[in-house]
Amino acid sequence: MSRRMKYLLAALSVFVLPLIFNDTYWRTNLTICAINVLLTLGLDFILGYTGQLNLGHSAFYGLGAYVSTLLIVKLGVPFWVAFVAGIGFAGLAGMFLSLFAVRLRGHYLAIASLGFAVIVYQILLNWISLTQGPLGIYGISPPPAVVIAGRVVADFRSLTAFFYLVSGFTFLVYLLLNQLVRSPVGETLTAIREDEISAASLGINCAAWKVFAFVVGSAVAGAAGCFYASFVGTLVPDAFYVTEAFNVLAMVIVGGVGTLIGPVFGAIFLTLLPEVLRGVGDLRLVVYGAALTFVVLFMPGGLIQAAHLVREKLRPSGPAS
Amino acid sequence: MITAFRALFLGLAATSLLAVGQTAHAQDKTIKIGALFPISGPGSYFGAQDKQGVELALEQLNRTGVNGYKFAIQYEDSSCAPLPATQAAKRLIEQFKPDVIIGEECSDATLAVMPIVEQAKVPLLNAGSSSIKVTQPGNPWTFRIMPNEVMQGVNLAENAYKRLNARTAALLFENTNAGIGNAQVFKENFTKLGGKVLAEIGFGRDVNDFTAIATRVAGLGKIDVIPTYTLEGQGLKITQALAQAGITKGGGGGAIQIGTIWLPFGFEQKAGKAALGYIRIVQFDPTDTRDLVKKFIAAFKAKYNADPTHLNAHAYDQIMLIADVVKRGGKDPQSIRDGLAATKNFSGVTGSVDFDKTNQNTKMDTVHYMETKPDMSWTSLKWN
Amino acid sequence: MTVTIVLQQAINGVVLGSLYVLVALGLTLIYGVLVQINFAHADFVTLGAFAAYFFMHLVGASYILSIGVAFSVGAILGWMINASIFTPLRRKGNELLPLIATIGVSVMMQNLMLAWFGPIPYAFETQYSNQVVRFAGIFVSWQNVIIIIVSSMTIALLYAFMKFTFLGKALRAVSQDHETAGLMGINQNQLIMLTFVIASALAGMAGAMLAPVLVLTPFAGTSVIVKAFAIVIIGGFGNVEGTILAGLIVGLIESYTTQFLDPGLIDIVVFALLLLMLAIRPTGLISERREENV
Repeated sequence: MSRRMKYLLAALSVFVLPLIFNDTYWRTNLTICAINVLLTLGLDFILGYTGQLNLGHSAFYGLGAYVSTLLIVKLGVPFWVAFVAGIGFAGLAGMFLSLFAVRLRGHYLAIASLGFAVIVYQILLNWISLTQGPLGIYGISPPPAVVIAGRVVADFRSLTAFFYLVSGFTFLVYLLLNQLVRSPVGETLTAIREDEISAASLGINCAAWKVFAFVVGSAVAGAAGCFYASFVGTLVPDAFYVTEAFNVLAMVIVGGVGTLIGPVFGAIFLTLLPEVLRGVGDLRLVVYGAALTFVVLFMPGGLIQAAHLVREKLRPSGPAS
Repeated sequence: MITAFRALFLGLAATSLLAVGQTAHAQDKTIKIGALFPISGPGSYFGAQDKQGVELALEQLNRTGVNGYKFAIQYEDSSCAPLPATQAAKRLIEQFKPDVIIGEECSDATLAVMPIVEQAKVPLLNAGSSSIKVTQPGNPWTFRIMPNEVMQGVNLAENAYKRLNARTAALLFENTNAGIGNAQVFKENFTKLGGKVLAEIGFGRDVNDFTAIATRVAGLGKIDVIPTYTLEGQGLKITQALAQAGITKGGGGGAIQIGTIWLPFGFEQKAGKAALGYIRIVQFDPTDTRDLVKKFIAAFKAKYNADPTHLNAHAYDQIMLIADVVKRGGKDPQSIRDGLAATKNFSGVTGSVDFDKTNQNTKMDTVHYMETKPDMSWTSLKWN
Repeated sequence: MTVTIVLQQAINGVVLGSLYVLVALGLTLIYGVLVQINFAHADFVTLGAFAAYFFMHLVGASYILSIGVAFSVGAILGWMINASIFTPLRRKGNELLPLIATIGVSVMMQNLMLAWFGPIPYAFETQYSNQVVRFAGIFVSWQNVIIIIVSSMTIALLYAFMKFTFLGKALRAVSQDHETAGLMGINQNQLIMLTFVIASALAGMAGAMLAPVLVLTPFAGTSVIVKAFAIVIIGGFGNVEGTILAGLIVGLIESYTTQFLDPGLIDIVVFALLLLMLAIRPTGLISERREENV
């Protein structure tokens, strides 16, 4: 099946989903899936394609949410302007961290990014006069309705419309990143991930590309934050505690790091799993942790690797694909 | 890739069908109560105890029913946070279709859920969130039986100034909505009366050692009262640290610890001598002499072999209040809502209930003052 | 502001520091030899604390004995984690996957403990936790004195072990230069297992010692682990003296920030320091390793 057909089918499925699941509970879950997919795409671009272990993704998520919301709530900035500002700020923060950490490798980068996330969280929590801290910001409105020639084309107070907005945006981001990854840029990034020293010897400016990947990834996370705020309507710093970064990491790994489509499934799977397992109570988070551990141990390629194995088994004869 | 995609899609479809199939079949003459409690995560402390109170009440009520109705309950895990709470609320409303909902404990979660219940036109009965925003402005579908942070704070400041003759205070509070809110109210009212707040020290929920904070308080000079707003785990450490530093009565000093968000009965046994002289507002007074309370304590002990805490008591009262509304004719969301609003002088184990027009219970007998005696038992100070 | 207050906060800082050092020591040991981070380390501490609690309360044993039990529980856990996670993954050669696996283990452990022990804080009292030593207007609780003493003894023992025994020297050899150590005939796998077991046993023991001080819930470890990582990096990954120094510094930062600023700012100050160290001196305060390509 050609790629274009796959995209068409995907778009169609996404379109049809809220029509099948037509209660507010499942539509909410779908929208949260979409937001999480956005987060994983950003992280996979950083981790999977340039090999930088970023444990602080929650910081950019939170910055996007807070910057855009504060602009709207305190300064009356129009929604989409604030949206762009939120993305920009998150990207800038990513650039700042990345420039700082560009010389760091592996574990050092991991801890530095974690430290960054802790600092951002503490600032959001303690700078009460600016962010309201734990007191929270309430009553955040969804994006304003789209009105063309006097008729309301899309009212984002409707869950379906909001879902289409977020999933549409996510789809676009996926297309963009996928194009990027299939282009010579993608080869450069992969070269850096596999062996930075050799890549440098080929004349690649590794530092610049690593920063680039970080900026893109964190900007995408910022967008997710903007959507989160206007979707939940309530903003408290605890939503961006560092454990959130671990959740996104789990989604990327379980889905299949470095494949871009893998994390999409990882996000959907790990978002819906706790909902489906609600009857199990506390143990559902145990399953979460177990999933992460076992995937890393036995199937590091994640769901994508599993899917390939299944496909191989279903194809008894002929050359391997 | 498409294989995986298809498989996932089918899986999604299958699970959704399963979920829908679990919807309880509405039975005649049953009042459906939905419960939003934190069952997982750090807040599961609350959920577990709430459930105990609920189960006791339901057991008693369902023996004979009320007005021909029996009660059914469905618990959903709201995790003490806005997003999980809204998801839990939606799931509850869509699948269980309750006539009334009780919950949440944490102010953030309650505030996030309120617009949802308003839109679904199902009454929400709250007994755990102290933030003033729950009832100001509030909405017609949300009711709270617990005294809010303003009611408690104003009263506490007054009593500190007038009955305890306190002129200086040092505030200790956890960095949460409830902690900060309560501390602010006390500070405003205490200073309005003429008192001085010498320090406001907020700390995160991950602080374990309070010796540094106690040291800082010790260096402030003469302190009369130390309003403390935190939960049991950290509250224990604070009380011990303050005593070790020789600041409070329990350590040979003169300051009195007051206030607090929630410290259950049994705190003294854990804190030991350090808790001497602690005066605090509790939502449940186990030394209350009313028959209603004595019967509740006896029944609770018989069922669970433990003394009830305010969490158990609140949950019990919520169910009993709903039963009272049903007795007065409530049978569906709208009539239950109206019945709640019309409540006058309901007697619960935590105190009486009388809602004002913002659906806040204004009865001050829900504010109980207790002081810790030298033998570690409580004596009830009849200040209300 | 009196001298007494400043002195008292200094002592508070040292106590806090010793607390952190007990937890961070295991981490730095593991990193030194394995070049791996065990994210579940703090949960070993928590589990050690619970093990000690239940041993004391169910069997009625003495506190000292329960510390031993916690030590053993830690050792067993360490053995299990190394055997099931680090050894198989080391063969694959990826340096980041094991870290992620331990994140998964950490989540599992915390929630299993939550399911078994519940969320209500346990009050772990020993005969030392409420008695106070006073001198010259300063006070320290006996439990904290014990923590400092045991901390120092452990560090001294560890130091002696590393400097004077054959195994210790072998460990240092492996941590300084993997390949050459292998050439010298040192059995790496056994050594690594030994390190892991010791480090995790230390974590368990730390849990038993800290239990009276910590707010004992399944999440007690998380409150300490992130700072422990910061300490390990500030002090220099794999360096015991550095860890001790960094631990004490962080403890002092904590008590003085509480005194002069606000407890809420502690994490910001500590992590700003961490980022600063990474910027100017990533190998840490004291490093005896070769210049590593960090």
